[in-house]
Amino acid sequence: MNKKEIFKKLLADNEFVFLDGAMGTMLQAKGMEAGGIPEMLNFDKPQWLKEIHGAYIEAGAQIVYTNTFGCNRYKMAETGKTPGEIIPEAVKIAKKAADGSALAALDVGPIGQLLEPTGSLAFEEAYDIFREQMIAGEKAGADLIVCETMTDLYELKAAVLAAKENTDLPIICTMTFEQNGRTFTGCAVSSMALTLEGLGVDAIGVNCSLGPKELEPVVAELSKWTHLPIVVKPNAGLPDPVTGEYNVTPEGFAESLCGLVKYGVKIVGGCCGTTPEFIKAAVGALKKMKHVPNVPEIISAVCSPAKTVVIDGPRIIGERINPTGKKRFKEALKSDDTDYILGQAIEQAKAGADLLDVNVGLPDIDEKAVMVKTVKAIQGITELPLQLDSTIPEVLEAALRVYNGKPIVNSVNGEEKSLETILPLVKKYGAAVVGLTLDEGGIPKTAEGRFAIAEKIMNRALSMGIPKENIFIDCLTLTASAEQEGVMETVKALARVKNELGLKTVLGVSNISFGLPNRELINANFLQMCLSHGLDLPIINPNVPAMTGAVRAYRLLANIDKNAAEFIEAYNAAPMTAIAPAAMSAPSSASEKECTPESLIAAVCGGLKGESGSITKELLKSHECMKIVDEMLIPALDKAGADFESGRIFLPQLILAAGAAQAAFEEIKKSMGGSKGVSKGKVVLATVKGDIHDIGKNIVKVLLENYGFEVIDLGRDVPYEDVLNAALDEEVKLVGLSALMTTTLKAMEDTIALVKSNKPECRIVVGGAVLTPEYALKIGADYYAKDAKATVDAAREVYGLEI
Amino acid sequence: MIELTKINRAEAFRYMGLREEPPENISSLADECESRLISAASPKFHWVYADISENSGDVVTLSGYRLVLRGKDISEHLSGCFGAALLCATLGDGVDKLLRTVQAEDMAKAVTVDAFASTAVEQVCDIAEKEIEERFAEKFTTWRFSPGYGDFPLECQGDFLGAVNAMRTVGVCVTEGGLLTPTKSVTAVIGISETEVPRKHRGCGTCSIRDKCNFRKNGGHCNE
Repeated sequence: MNKKEIFKKLLADNEFVFLDGAMGTMLQAKGMEAGGIPEMLNFDKPQWLKEIHGAYIEAGAQIVYTNTFGCNRYKMAETGKTPGEIIPEAVKIAKKAADGSALAALDVGPIGQLLEPTGSLAFEEAYDIFREQMIAGEKAGADLIVCETMTDLYELKAAVLAAKENTDLPIICTMTFEQNGRTFTGCAVSSMALTLEGLGVDAIGVNCSLGPKELEPVVAELSKWTHLPIVVKPNAGLPDPVTGEYNVTPEGFAESLCGLVKYGVKIVGGCCGTTPEFIKAAVGALKKMKHVPNVPEIISAVCSPAKTVVIDGPRIIGERINPTGKKRFKEALKSDDTDYILGQAIEQAKAGADLLDVNVGLPDIDEKAVMVKTVKAIQGITELPLQLDSTIPEVLEAALRVYNGKPIVNSVNGEEKSLETILPLVKKYGAAVVGLTLDEGGIPKTAEGRFAIAEKIMNRALSMGIPKENIFIDCLTLTASAEQEGVMETVKALARVKNELGLKTVLGVSNISFGLPNRELINANFLQMCLSHGLDLPIINPNVPAMTGAVRAYRLLANIDKNAAEFIEAYNAAPMTAIAPAAMSAPSSASEKECTPESLIAAVCGGLKGESGSITKELLKSHECMKIVDEMLIPALDKAGADFESGRIFLPQLILAAGAAQAAFEEIKKSMGGSKGVSKGKVVLATVKGDIHDIGKNIVKVLLENYGFEVIDLGRDVPYEDVLNAALDEEVKLVGLSALMTTTLKAMEDTIALVKSNKPECRIVVGGAVLTPEYALKIGADYYAKDAKATVDAAREVYGLEI
Repeated sequence: MIELTKINRAEAFRYMGLREEPPENISSLADECESRLISAASPKFHWVYADISENSGDVVTLSGYRLVLRGKDISEHLSGCFGAALLCATLGDGVDKLLRTVQAEDMAKAVTVDAFASTAVEQVCDIAEKEIEERFAEKFTTWRFSPGYGDFPLECQGDFLGAVNAMRTVGVCVTEGGLLTPTKSVTAVIGISETEVPRKHRGCGTCSIRDKCNFRKNGGHCNE
């Protein structure tokens, strides 16, 4: 029997399977100091560990966790020992104590550093850290792997991939939830279940944080979402901050555990505060009970960590993140302008999209790298689940790997090559998939032909273990102006796929009207037709109110949106959405207003985005671009800057003014056809290595851009070499560095030294809360910027512009 | 679980450098930022008590803890105290996500949310401090002193979080550069004494940004 079979047999042979209780609590009782490094006790006090494991096994534990919770190279760095040295010792001690009467699980806790984007640890590095642990664990003879106390689904995904790709051991995953049913990073129970079950782990559940009684709603929720064995390993209640004692007794603990059996709990143990007495009590109490198999409803759903979207009726997939036919989007991709793409994501989310399609395919960019970066960035700012869209399998795999949650893959089709390459990826990463009804012969003309391909895709997916609820079929929209007779074939095929195959359907709608006048009318009507024939996932532009409205109205009329709650929230909440300040309201019509240089300056100073844009548009008819920039926008920003310096206005107002100037610049850019004619020079900006507070740098960026400088924004936590390379490659004359904390000033100094030694003529401006002019000088900077405005002054001086 | 229903606006505006009533457009911006911050935040704190085993004037050792409090300033802060409450408070990861989102929307919103969030995390600390004071109602407590004040080194954040078991209890970690994540998080020490401690204002002398503090520049103080 291999280890997976042994674990399966353990589950099959027992009504309930028992884990051990707390390790840390027991070690502290033996004399370990709080905040100590328990992993070192594998060397220093092996006898303690033997006793603890032994006591738990005697109490009835069938699986004991090795003393390796924090045994990763990041946390162990200060001990001088590596996971490769510690893990074998810990596994050896556990196995010896178990002596064949219990399994030894390699215990893997969180790394101890938050992942990007909140923290600075990259997903790929987290994977690498876990990989080292998993390999060492299997080599040392661990019987299974337990990833526990996880709060970040992303980190857990890295751990699961590391375990699955490098070992053959069964995997148990438990996350830590608060009473509100969320982890500290906002992960929902449903998202954990959907994601982990998709990745193919062997059991999932909850541990730590709360007592068994308080965990009841979390366990109840979990039982609705998973087919896997459910694990519960609660705390002995809550600790007293002064005495450190927990408030639940072994008997109370066992009694509460019994109350969780009805939710399908299969594997039980204890976390912080529990002792062998707790496990003994649990074993005794559960002996009288029978396991209740958990039979969750089959649900089609995709998710991000914080948001699960159940496809229980039409859901909108926003189509705007796609360069096809969009000049501005292409330009953003080429110039690495992630902010523009994020803006598209935010706009669609606000307009009512439930999911976002992400396509960054352009012939002359590194699509894989851009896709990974874009998926990470979008997930950093929105909760909407994503549909990963590419024609290149490697791009899809890279995106699937870094996606946090359960995404949709767009797409597979009926061609043999596509089925062979795409479906294994979908299976491995537990995604849902869009199946296009085309194959080697192209798109069949008839509904029958498309239905046949849909069936083929379904059968192939099922044979590979991809469940029906994860297969979404796209019957393909043809252009009505070119193939009018084909429109109803699409609708018919869609209805058959829905009714006869029982699959969810997806459809890009907007193509229908290509080449026709009044496209919106055609689109909205076609959408309605498709919805009433069973379309679940329309791919549309959610920013068009008629399209989003059609879906909302359908959900209401089809009795999906119960009590019209969503509809009312969307359309009755006008006062709520109107809280945006006047400065950011929709562009007012410029034609009614005076369009003079003075009015533009006033609009910029007042932070009036809409007016500033519309006045500029008018002025462009009679003024040269550079004249508007030099004689209106720059003086307006100067006035705002001077007011800021003298305390007449404060930071948000200065930024509003910059935003208004930006709206003017956008108009100018448009009129120049996207050429970079307004650039006054390039400036590299970076928040230094080790520092993750980048709001100050971003303020500087906004101001510089609105003074006409081209900013190369390297982001935060930037390695020294990256700053140098950017400075060299782009032939910039000025580099701006930001650091917030005293601890990262050293990184600033080292970055300056590296840039100066390789490009002595490059000027450097520094800023940050703890910097002083003297210190800036001492570390070799040329300029000290006390605020964002001062950086602009430095840039103007360096590029020989008037100040 | 604790809930913040209101952010101290006057304080937040002071963080932004505003000295008078905010103009209309900023006030409505603040309305939006405040409500979004409140829904994004998941404020929480955790504290533990430690006996002080020795205070040498340079180093304070705690009985049963690996954490050692180093520096003249923290030693002076805890002089006369028999114990200390070690506190970690945070607004949670949701606020970092909100900060990223508003930075992509509009930097004016970003600086406003940032100032409101800094205010909010102090409010969470106030709630925690009250709980600690109530628990030691018969004793006397000092004000909060955080790593980074004076010569109390930021380098102790890792051990500090270990002492509070912060990763498990409130989800706070420290980066290799010594920064707390989520970013709107605070660690602090509150001394506990049998005798009354002079509750002098947190002095500028121990503050790391005193040379460029806006409050000081304008002749004021952040604790007023």
